[in-house]
Amino acid sequence: MNLARTRRVNIAGAIITVITVIAAIIWAFPIYWGIVSSFKLEDEVVRPYIELWPEHPTLRHYWFALTQTQIGSWYVNSVATALGVTVLTVSTSLLVGYAISQLRFPGRRVLWWLILASFMVPTQVLIINHFVLIANMGLLNTWAGIILPQLIHPVVIIVYKQFFDQVPKEFREAAVMDNASELRILSKVYIPMNWGVTTALSIVTFIWAWNAFLWPFLAVTRTEMMTITVGITQVSDAFGVYYARQLASAVLAGFPVALAYLLFQRRVTQAITLSAGIKG
Amino acid sequence: MADISLQNVSKSFGAVDVIKDISLEVEQGEFVVFLGPSGSGKSTLLRMIAGLESIDRGKLLIGGKECQDIAPGQRNVAMVFQNYALYPHMTVRDNMAFGLRNIGMKEKDIEARVADAGRILEMDALLDRRPSQLSGGQRQRVAIGRAIVKEPAAFLFDEPLSNLDAALRVRTRVELAQLHQRIAATMIYVTHDQTEAMTLADRIVILNDCRIEQIGTPMEVYTYPASRFVAGFVGSPGMNFLNSDVAVSGKEATATLGDGSRVAMSIDVPEGGTYELGIRPEAVHVVTGEGDTTGEATVVENLGDRTLVYTRLGDGSSVIALDDGRSQVAPGDTVSLRFDTSQLHLFDSSGRAYHAD
Repeated sequence: MNLARTRRVNIAGAIITVITVIAAIIWAFPIYWGIVSSFKLEDEVVRPYIELWPEHPTLRHYWFALTQTQIGSWYVNSVATALGVTVLTVSTSLLVGYAISQLRFPGRRVLWWLILASFMVPTQVLIINHFVLIANMGLLNTWAGIILPQLIHPVVIIVYKQFFDQVPKEFREAAVMDNASELRILSKVYIPMNWGVTTALSIVTFIWAWNAFLWPFLAVTRTEMMTITVGITQVSDAFGVYYARQLASAVLAGFPVALAYLLFQRRVTQAITLSAGIKG
Repeated sequence: MADISLQNVSKSFGAVDVIKDISLEVEQGEFVVFLGPSGSGKSTLLRMIAGLESIDRGKLLIGGKECQDIAPGQRNVAMVFQNYALYPHMTVRDNMAFGLRNIGMKEKDIEARVADAGRILEMDALLDRRPSQLSGGQRQRVAIGRAIVKEPAAFLFDEPLSNLDAALRVRTRVELAQLHQRIAATMIYVTHDQTEAMTLADRIVILNDCRIEQIGTPMEVYTYPASRFVAGFVGSPGMNFLNSDVAVSGKEATATLGDGSRVAMSIDVPEGGTYELGIRPEAVHVVTGEGDTTGEATVVENLGDRTLVYTRLGDGSSVIALDDGRSQVAPGDTVSLRFDTSQLHLFDSSGRAYHAD
């Protein structure tokens, strides 16, 4: 009976594994196709049938992207703005999350509901307001202009609040008895006790900011100020679209994020799990 | 002068009173234990002294200084928490130094104080470990060390032994008593464990229903409980209570028990009537001849040095009696019980106690 049961479980496991593998192939194939195509000659790319491997592998599109475009500036812009967004988002969310979780002040509950409610508002709805505001401030085509509207990430605040809520209150009370100020309680007790979540949220925020397209696309018109996601739309000329060239640029754009993901895989998965229950 | 003085302090959470008009003086160097059942308000009272709970009405003086509106860290008291609350990411040394760094003490002085505390608590070798690398007893010691380094006016302990196993609890209890003798500091200790209270306290404050029922030395509260509640709460096994009709003649009284037996005693009660008669098991002796009453032994617990005999009297009421370690009593035997009438108590309907002479 036990054997039959084990066999049934194994069959179920095998079916799930097959489904997962098929789903993974479906999901990963476009990435494979994009990478392979970036090594093909342009006329190979537009052939009507599927070729899983380049007939004449070439690096010329990469060479073009690296030498004939401003990809260096775009990298710098992306790194600077993504880092700026990450540092500012994480540090401000940390403070807000701590205040809402640990401090008692008038309006705390209203503030919390406002943050939760801000979830319901998609960024796209605000984008015209953001554009007008940033334009009036004269910040179009600047790093600050790219960064500022991207600092709204309620999910980071919510994750921090949840983590701070879970810290047993005795730690806070012990620190209060130890004459610690709020800033010291936060910096010496709460942050070190939650390093894992800070690292995870930083990585995920960095990836969000690096991948951002819509706002940087609107906020920047000068080629040298573009981030890499916007910059790759510029890899075409008057004679039309060159798919292989654009795909090579896209691979270069995605490379740092892919690398970051590989290096911090566990933390990223943790952060996605943390925010999965709340992220809209 | 009292080191800690509570004057008519009260507190409520919304409509619920949690501390009702409590006044208490704790002398310099005294070890005072707050003893009471869950929900009696003992922890709340301790937290009010610490500053972790606000005081709605009344005054709190520490070292003669009014403290009810002062931040917890500035009251010059240190607290040891039930679950230790050691910062898990800091070493033992940093845990102890944290409070001193917060007040801007020089590192050299901090080092000296931490080293002293390490010596007092015999944990010099543990200073560079993290809490996760320590046993329960060692963590408890670090928590006490964290309080010692502050050299506070008073130590506040919130059920500090309840997370330890039985053997370690006994050992740590002895260590605490020794520590108190060595540093002679004022200590307030909250527990629901009467053994801890009896063994550690200079004075016990018994709380019930958010009020103080009695304040006294361990022997006072044991021998002369102020109320029916204290009599029942202190002592293990608990005091025997028997319904009785009391006839009074001057300073003499005769109690008629439910089974018809009569017990005469010298006691000062204002009038006769229905009382509960209380007597501790060690004042009820199993005797071979005629006693004050007889009962049937239902359970016999031999504890080695003594034997507890659980008996049922003629009216069905229960009495626990004490016999010596080599008791021959077996369940089902009929035994004669003699009461030590100098250790009798009578409790009126309001719970007020009268003690026999």
